[in-house]
Amino acid sequence: MGYAMHPYWKEMPPIGKELARELKKNIEEIKNAEAEVAKEVDRVKNNGKSTEKMNELGEMTAWQRLEYLVDPGTWCPLHTIYDPAKNEEGNTGVIDGLGKINGKWAVIIASNNKVMAGAWLNGQADNVLRITDIAKRLHIPLVWVLNCSGAKLMEQETLYPNRRGSGTPFFRHAELQKLGIPIIVGIYGTNPAGGGYHSISPTVLIAHKKANMAVGGAGIVGGMNPKGYVDDEAAEALINATRGMKTTPPGRVEIHHDVTGFFRDVCDTEEAVLDQIKKYMDAMPAYAPDFFRVADPAEPKFPTSDLYSLVPFNQKRVYAMDEVLARLFDNSEHMEFKPDYGIEMYCGLAKIDGYICGFIANNQGVLGADYPKYADYQGIGGKLYREGLIKMSEFVTFCGRDRIPVIWVQDTTGIDVGDTAEKQEMLGLGMSLIYSIEQTDNPMMTILLRKGTAAAHYVLGGPQANNNNAFTLGTATTEVYVMHGETAAAASYARRLVKDKDAGKSLEPTIAKMNDMIQEYFDKSRPAYCAKTGMVDEIVNYTDLRKYCQAFVGSVYQNPTSICAIHQQITPRVIKG
Amino acid sequence: MANLESPLAGKILEINMEIGQVVTEDDELIILEAMKMENPVFGSDGTVKEIKVKVGDKVEEGDILAVIE
Repeated sequence: MGYAMHPYWKEMPPIGKELARELKKNIEEIKNAEAEVAKEVDRVKNNGKSTEKMNELGEMTAWQRLEYLVDPGTWCPLHTIYDPAKNEEGNTGVIDGLGKINGKWAVIIASNNKVMAGAWLNGQADNVLRITDIAKRLHIPLVWVLNCSGAKLMEQETLYPNRRGSGTPFFRHAELQKLGIPIIVGIYGTNPAGGGYHSISPTVLIAHKKANMAVGGAGIVGGMNPKGYVDDEAAEALINATRGMKTTPPGRVEIHHDVTGFFRDVCDTEEAVLDQIKKYMDAMPAYAPDFFRVADPAEPKFPTSDLYSLVPFNQKRVYAMDEVLARLFDNSEHMEFKPDYGIEMYCGLAKIDGYICGFIANNQGVLGADYPKYADYQGIGGKLYREGLIKMSEFVTFCGRDRIPVIWVQDTTGIDVGDTAEKQEMLGLGMSLIYSIEQTDNPMMTILLRKGTAAAHYVLGGPQANNNNAFTLGTATTEVYVMHGETAAAASYARRLVKDKDAGKSLEPTIAKMNDMIQEYFDKSRPAYCAKTGMVDEIVNYTDLRKYCQAFVGSVYQNPTSICAIHQQITPRVIKG
Repeated sequence: MANLESPLAGKILEINMEIGQVVTEDDELIILEAMKMENPVFGSDGTVKEIKVKVGDKVEEGDILAVIE
């Protein structure tokens, strides 16, 4: 296939330069922080039964199934340590992410069968809604590797009911199909009740020969107890019923393949189920990659490993955002939108794997004596000023018109404050940017490279942009809070200090409270905390950032619901002038 | 001979050069604390002839911090 508008895209202006030197201390600090997150991931992976034990029982673990299913090198895990309910199991009981299956991107969820045979745990429904949000936003197939024993009955009151409870994913499955997004499920093990509806709600059902799915499991069928309490007689009856049911759980393949025909296929081996998923993926709609490409894919000229020297671990240290972007863009090339206007923000077009992608990022460092023009103080990168907010609204609007996906790279300390800034309409312009994002229908991804602070975290395409943001990545240097702990402590206790001082009281108790608050802000903004609570969808090593960009952009262009011909796009023309 | 000027008002936090040292335009010669951030000051290729500030000094925009030949 040939490429449209090749004079624009084949060779673009360069960005970035060779790394001057490696900063060993900085590299070590970031790698140590990445290692801390890796420990959390290992904790989740090692939870429950051991892999060896599972294999002895004749079962592959969820991770082994995923490894067999997903094309090598394409797995981009998400929500690995997400655990909003702080479960004793340490995660939500599902493993999910983006990956290619036989060359096509899919959103993939696997039941963690090492823990309570893949039971519903607290937070799981929310996790499932988050990951299926991505299928909905990117319009790519959803694949379930299901092995779900139903609700963890001891905690049913918090996980079973509610608006975004464990039944909501079934409506989500229906919604996805309504939107033309197919769902494939490979079913293993015993899937009663909730597991049964997880099994039946997808588009295509493939079963392992030992799998079953049912409205209620053997325990429910055998355990109906009309007395309202358990006595010896009831216990004996339960024992007998359970023994009987053990050999014949309801909803086996003899029922749901041979009688109802719900299962399209029954497979003799665990691997065969996954092979069958791959065959169905071959039948899923997808454009050939070159259909939307504008150039051959190319790696950046400079390695992503440079980022360990380029991005200061010290949050106060400034750096060159251009150099970060140069490590993400194909061939380290780009077209920058209005580089001399709104200079605190980078907006521009680049290629990721040969596809056009918009990027918006916070430039860092001193902005010069004359910026912002409206103030008698100097501006600094990371803050948002009038021009930057206007520029972003324009760029987002153009990208929306041109159906260009956008990746945001956030490192922000907030929007300019004070009456001088208020007169320049900062509040209105921040909200205008939110409106600009919402009125587009293009998918977005966010990298929270360092700080996500104040309302700027929202307006810069943060995860709060529910209808656009597919997912948000954190890194070892991510921090998220409404304001820095010291600022918050000052805001909370400044008047108390004045009162104490005027009353001749010791300042120590208030100072101690302030320092406690600062420490709490610090503890609750660390990368692992951000991932556990869902502020970000995954903490990613610097060297994997481009891989996630490739997964996002490749997914966007796989089967879009709306397109703009390359030669009808206006953004590159606006940039060229 | 080139003067290394302060790009903004602030406080000298670090001095990462010595007299006689050969430096390049990529070297962070001085770290200047301003607006709660630590800002690196870069110079041109050459040899450090004179350092006019010390750690803790407060400087104004345009002040000469060092001379590089």
